[in-house]
Amino acid sequence: MRGATHAKWAACAVAVALAATACGGGSDGGGGGGGGAGVVSSSWGDPQNPLEPANTNEVQGGKVLDMLFRGLKRYDPKTGAALNMIADKIDTTDSQNFTITLKDGWKFSNDEPVTAQSFVDAWNYGADVRNKQNNSPFFSDIVGYADVHPASGEPKAKTMSGLVVKDPKTFTVALKNKFSTWPETLGYQAFSPLPKAFFTDHAGWLNKPVGNGPYLVDSYTKGTGMKLRTWSGYPGPDKALNSGVDLKVYTDNNTAYTDLISGNLDLVDDVPAQQLKNVKNDLGDRYINQPALIIQTLTFPLYDPQWSKEGMENVRRGISMAINRDEITKQIFRETRTPAKDWTSPALGQKGGFSATLCGDACKYDPAAAKKLIQDAGGLPGGKVTLTSNVDTGSHRDWMDAVCNSINNALGEGPVCTVNPVGTFADFRNQQSSFKLTGPFRSGWQADYPLIQNFLQPLYYTGASSNYGKFSNPDFDKLVDEANQESDAAKAITKFQDAEKILVQQMPSIPLWYQNGSAGYAERLTDVALNQFSVPVYNEIKVS
Amino acid sequence: MTDTQIAGAPSAGAVVSKGGRKKKKDREASLWSDAIDDLRRNPVFLIGAFLVLCLLVISAVPQWFTDGSPFDSTACVLQDSLKTPSAEHWFGYDIQGCDVYTRTVWAARNSVIVGIVTTTLVTVIGGALGLLAGWTGGIVDSILSRFTEIFFAIPLLLGGMLIMSALPGNAWTVSLVLAILGWPQIFRIMRSSVLQNKNNDYVVAARALGAGTLRITLRHILPNAIAPVIVVGAISLGVYISAEAALSYLGIGVQPPEISWGLMVSDASVRWLQAPHVLLFPAVALSITVLAFIMVGDAVRDALDPKLR
Repeated sequence: MRGATHAKWAACAVAVALAATACGGGSDGGGGGGGGAGVVSSSWGDPQNPLEPANTNEVQGGKVLDMLFRGLKRYDPKTGAALNMIADKIDTTDSQNFTITLKDGWKFSNDEPVTAQSFVDAWNYGADVRNKQNNSPFFSDIVGYADVHPASGEPKAKTMSGLVVKDPKTFTVALKNKFSTWPETLGYQAFSPLPKAFFTDHAGWLNKPVGNGPYLVDSYTKGTGMKLRTWSGYPGPDKALNSGVDLKVYTDNNTAYTDLISGNLDLVDDVPAQQLKNVKNDLGDRYINQPALIIQTLTFPLYDPQWSKEGMENVRRGISMAINRDEITKQIFRETRTPAKDWTSPALGQKGGFSATLCGDACKYDPAAAKKLIQDAGGLPGGKVTLTSNVDTGSHRDWMDAVCNSINNALGEGPVCTVNPVGTFADFRNQQSSFKLTGPFRSGWQADYPLIQNFLQPLYYTGASSNYGKFSNPDFDKLVDEANQESDAAKAITKFQDAEKILVQQMPSIPLWYQNGSAGYAERLTDVALNQFSVPVYNEIKVS
Repeated sequence: MTDTQIAGAPSAGAVVSKGGRKKKKDREASLWSDAIDDLRRNPVFLIGAFLVLCLLVISAVPQWFTDGSPFDSTACVLQDSLKTPSAEHWFGYDIQGCDVYTRTVWAARNSVIVGIVTTTLVTVIGGALGLLAGWTGGIVDSILSRFTEIFFAIPLLLGGMLIMSALPGNAWTVSLVLAILGWPQIFRIMRSSVLQNKNNDYVVAARALGAGTLRITLRHILPNAIAPVIVVGAISLGVYISAEAALSYLGIGVQPPEISWGLMVSDASVRWLQAPHVLLFPAVALSITVLAFIMVGDAVRDALDPKLR
């Protein structure tokens, strides 16, 4: 209850700061989250970076951008499919040069029309190294990126030569390589269009961002909260079904959760771990817990011959089968993780390339078969296996101990599996990226966009940026190349899955589990859902 | 403190044994026989000593008290995770499905090792240097005293954290580190005790009879100065055990796969609302152990301090 009192005070602070509602009465109409009739009040954290679309790569800023902006495409929150939003059509004949045509009628909330130039300017701004945008690598596939964003030194140009405006409704994009599923990446917020005001009055824009989404910023106080109201003139198909959203900054999620339970808040995303025990009692079916675009794996150091030599794939597969994922996700993670069944994430959806059967038996717990596989293949290298991870966050120590116990129980050869805890994430990353580890190590991967390509290519393609196990397989590379050249999205995804099947045979990494996103909401809300980035889909929420 | 001893024996060195034997006949008691007599009737000492004895047996032969072993790689089954105490498993299970009773019993060993080894080292180092400083005096005393003050200025836990973060964590390194930081206290007590004793008549007498420095120190000064050292040593034994638990709790003391109550408490503290028993049992075991040693130390102090009688 202390939390509740405290939070009420915090809510008052919001109200005072915004000079909108009196706070003495405690409840301000509406009967619920303090946001007034039809307004959803939701927990928030201060965004890490200024709210520029190409600079926001975390959830808190993402929440706002999802309400303020609509891009060429938008990921369907349910199926994960990238549907055309502003784009009328995206044509290509060679999977490398794309012609993008825009729909009519789109405008920013300051009545400026959304044109091809709005996109090209925004992308050039996002790519330019001088603007220090976090998401600039998203533009790195475009021809001319190296000129505006050289690895070192001064940029040679201000704009990327691969972007050409044909007319106000059409522009063309030239990519450096064939990348058939590139249009599917355009649902990511970094590709949002920007109004002219963004460039002419940048500071003013940051204080009160103007976009082309279903909401308008009513007021924004850094460190306290943001009020968003429905934009009545919104031309898009996905109009907001509520009258607004009040985002309130909480520094402690536990406080937000207590506020939700006591009726002072409508929506909390990311339910704190300490509350998981009570969440079913407190919220019943008003608790959402679903896989996000995050997968945790144990990657083998295949640069080490003792792990990569012929026949070791069976040992790697055996270790995978000795891990009781169901029990670990249930006991250690209290079902905030979902046992992995492939190398992608269920958030992709079946159409996006997720498959619950792809890994098959290799990801199923079968201690007897695991023992036999490992013994027949000559046993663990040196008779032992050491798991490495940082242990400063995320109960990594607990799950590694549990994985080791599971392996030791399955093999019955004494403590052959041990844990090598690394004190800090930075130190762990150092060891990982300098290829010094001699046993399997934790690797977590959060996809940048809901695309199977993003789960495979950066991690397992020969020489790829995050291929920390140095896995290299010509067949895998070939299938990925083919998939990237395939102009039909569905066929491309099948190709990627063929490539993924090579991972089943080779087991360069063991899929452990998908990380879940979670949210809890008040009784007066309906139609609450999380999208692939674990951000609530605010415009669909209905308030009763 | 020394009058009876001088009266009872020409050589103070023989006081301890002779006084003890004579006592029953003529009630002429020495400090030590009085103390033992006193302790025998002190319930605080008896309870404490009984607990300490139990603890020593448990840490010497834990397998007498439990069938399982925490080093058995197949002992923990995740299905049992966080199960509450039952008739078969008195203390319940921890997060990994390991039996908390087994782990609590086996963890006693590291605590007792740290307690005893540290106290021994502290007494030997502090005692020897204190004796040297007190007896020789002059420049040696000055140097040793200043040197001691350097160590004295470092808080036990803070210094322990600093040094342990650079050492591999096990019961022996923890003991060593605690001893390095703990000896100045004993040094000071020993030194002042020696200074108190060295001008007493029996020392002067011994010297007059031609006894050498070494002989006087070991046979006359040491036996009469050691009582306060023993008292402080006994009390601080409990302190060292809790310091080990604190270091292990912080993750820089004893390291897994070794076990320690501090580690167990640390593991359990994350979810103690959810499963309080996992935290409770090692914490209670630690408290009882520290209490037992402090009770014994307290009783010994009372017995050896005639002023309190």
